[in-house]
Amino acid sequence: MAKNEAITARKKKEKRDPKGIIAPLVVLAIIYIGLEIGLRAFHVAAYVMPTPTHIIQGTIKSFAIILPDFLFTLKIICIGFCVAIPAGILLAALFSQFDIVVKAMQPVVIWLVITPMITLIPLMTLWLGTDPNLRVIIVIIQATPIICMNTLNGFIHVEQEKLELAKSIGATKLQTFVHITFMNALPQVFTGIKLGCIFSTIGAVSADFVSRGQGLGDRIIKFLKYSNFEQSYGCIILIAIIGISLYTVAEKIEKRIVLWKK
Amino acid sequence: MQEPKIKFDHVTKVFQTRSQSILAVKDYSMEIAAGEFVSILGPSGCGKSTLIRMLDGIIDTTEGDIFIDGQKVNYAKKKMPQSILRKMGFIFQQPNMLPWFTVRENIALPLRVFDLKGPEWEKRVDELLELVGLTEYAKAYPAEISGGMLQRAGVIRAMVHDPEILLMDEPFGALDELTREQMNMELLDIWTRTKKTIIFITHNIEEAVLLSSRVYVMGTHPGRLVEIVDLDLPRPRTLSMITQPKFIQYREKLEGCIGEIDLSKIK
Repeated sequence: MAKNEAITARKKKEKRDPKGIIAPLVVLAIIYIGLEIGLRAFHVAAYVMPTPTHIIQGTIKSFAIILPDFLFTLKIICIGFCVAIPAGILLAALFSQFDIVVKAMQPVVIWLVITPMITLIPLMTLWLGTDPNLRVIIVIIQATPIICMNTLNGFIHVEQEKLELAKSIGATKLQTFVHITFMNALPQVFTGIKLGCIFSTIGAVSADFVSRGQGLGDRIIKFLKYSNFEQSYGCIILIAIIGISLYTVAEKIEKRIVLWKK
Repeated sequence: MQEPKIKFDHVTKVFQTRSQSILAVKDYSMEIAAGEFVSILGPSGCGKSTLIRMLDGIIDTTEGDIFIDGQKVNYAKKKMPQSILRKMGFIFQQPNMLPWFTVRENIALPLRVFDLKGPEWEKRVDELLELVGLTEYAKAYPAEISGGMLQRAGVIRAMVHDPEILLMDEPFGALDELTREQMNMELLDIWTRTKKTIIFITHNIEEAVLLSSRVYVMGTHPGRLVEIVDLDLPRPRTLSMITQPKFIQYREKLEGCIGEIDLSKIK
């Protein structure tokens, strides 16, 4: 059992290694202090770039105004993202069943990934009306294709020998998919999901910019209009925090599930 | 005469690619009795892997039939039934472990697919792990153990559902010389104890002479049977036999067979 213990010990060590947390915090502190000193030393105007401390102060002061928009954007991103994950994986699973469908759908998926969905928003308003909650759809069609593309990539690139193994023990199509194809694709599924976090955030905010009325994107424009630069920057940071949090959660789950990759 | 365990009856395989059809195996026949250890020897591209892949239902035959225990097993375009597949264990050239499963899960995979549950099968996995010295690595992932260990895992995975036939596709070809010799002796040991029927694919003449009772020599363009050499060497075989005159005689004979093939290729 000595070997097993050694393996677990190594994993624990990797997990507990504080460098992974401290190093980024140090960088963050350097950026914060550097900006604070630099902006003050060179007398940079607030409309160009407010100091980090002013951004935080301004944001806290106006947080009651920002909060509803923050929650709205968070809701749009989370719902859209949560629909996009199963949708992307399911579509990839369906496509991968037939070679001809893979060939037919791959360009379509890539085309959907590349097209900025913000361009569809005015049209969608025409089709579906102006309910702000419809922005979920933008998030879904922005994030699903990238998840689908990566997953599909994982599904169709399985080593021939692994499939031969399945055949040699007479595995059914479902068993082969569950034990081999899907597991083989898991790292790529997570790559897709992580990219999906980014795409969801972009989708939600760009929808706010076009449709207005609600959301952090809308709030940024409103603050700018009244020269509340600190609060605008605050909103940008909040958007980033949503994106980073989702990404981190996805990464944590990946590390829990994809144990065989270091 | 007793019914052969495995019989190839004028088997031909043609691979159809986009631009051409390739004759991989031409009119191949052989009969193997139960409990025999035979080798199929030949240069790469002679269709030796294709033979055992057809036998194990991984690819289908173009012409001719294959029988196991007198039962025809090649179904055109149809999946081979599990009752037949269960009789065979396939050992790949690469360990071919699934990296997302632990060593134990990998070895138990055939049990899951064949739906063999219960403590007796669990015990069998443990015994096999013990047999090849992998007990303490059972919970490790394949990426965490060495090539030799992985190939041992590959061997016992093929044996876990207690097949009567082991099909080995150059199983130790990817290993270093020392490990390879050791694995060969372990394999002989397993064969002596379990009396399974073994078809061993190799391009290594010495290995073929050391292990088997009979060698089928194959040639290329097209892949075909050129010679059958019966080996009358005493068992148990040991590594020290390699220097004995009889061993060298057989080796030279097989080298001659292979040499002829190479010459014919040049012509």
